[in-house]
Amino acid sequence: MAVSLIGRANLMIDEKILVWKFNRGSKDAFQMLYEKYKDDLLGLAITLLRDRSLAEDVVHDVFVSFAGTTGSFHLSGTLKGYLSTCVANCARDRNRLRSRRDVGLDAAEGMGSDSGDPIEHVIDSEQSGRLTQLLGRVAYEQREVIVLHLHQEMRFKEIAEALGISINTAQSRYRYGLDKLRSIINSMVTK
Amino acid sequence: MKPEKNIEEFVKSEKPHVTTGGAMDERTLTDSFEAMDETIRANKPSAAGTILRSRAARLAAAAVIIVAVGLLMVYRNPGEQQQPQTVSAAKSPVEMMTTMSLTIAYRKGGMEAVEEQYNEAFKLIGPRPESLSVKHILAEFNGT
Repeated sequence: MAVSLIGRANLMIDEKILVWKFNRGSKDAFQMLYEKYKDDLLGLAITLLRDRSLAEDVVHDVFVSFAGTTGSFHLSGTLKGYLSTCVANCARDRNRLRSRRDVGLDAAEGMGSDSGDPIEHVIDSEQSGRLTQLLGRVAYEQREVIVLHLHQEMRFKEIAEALGISINTAQSRYRYGLDKLRSIINSMVTK
Repeated sequence: MKPEKNIEEFVKSEKPHVTTGGAMDERTLTDSFEAMDETIRANKPSAAGTILRSRAARLAAAAVIIVAVGLLMVYRNPGEQQQPQTVSAAKSPVEMMTTMSLTIAYRKGGMEAVEEQYNEAFKLIGPRPESLSVKHILAEFNGT
């Protein structure tokens, strides 16, 4: 327990140092931060949007706008929490745009990617597919809270602040979302 | 295990493990580095900016400006600072010759100052007659 706490503290210090270097214009530090979080954030975006190419655009935009804050970036919580919030907000905007364009979620399931390796893409799709499909049937707002809490390990307070809602709303969205997911799974089992 | 915990465990275990493609990495990093360069160029600090950012530097700059203005005022017109004290209290030759004015001149600079004040007064009035002594002039002006 103590060892894991020390390890976590070391990781946080490393991250703080990287952010400090990034703030002084170090591209190496930025690249290290990118390498550290890119896959995790892409997974989050895919779960939220169910469209790999849209998710890649979201992650791209988030990192580019993060890079633009060099010199003035101030981190109050964790970088993972900050970037996850950015991805969630950006994904929500994209989702709204997509809804306006009348492209249904099912139509967007094609998961197009600019990934060069097709085998890698198939593996990715299989690994991310089951839950993504199930969560796709849960309301977007509920899905967002579930994924941020269970996958990104954000607390309800952080989620509420990030999404601009109350903690109670975040918690109720989470509960209703899980209930919905459970009923979806149950209906699949009974069939 | 509660059903709620079950579903939470299920969602956690099904967290997608995806990896970004090389093309995406390249595109993102290239655009990000460009954004960094642009921000650095735009925020390049000027000397004034550096001074204004630190409170101590701001105070030091203000102190330097005040000292500089003070020194400028002192050295700009040094002649004005060394004006003769004898005529500063009086405006007209008549006033210069009053007992009070001469007393002030004496206190400030002794007999030399009194003489100087006389000379100043005569410069304004006109040439001093040789027969006229200081005593006569005093008597005449003070009505004694």
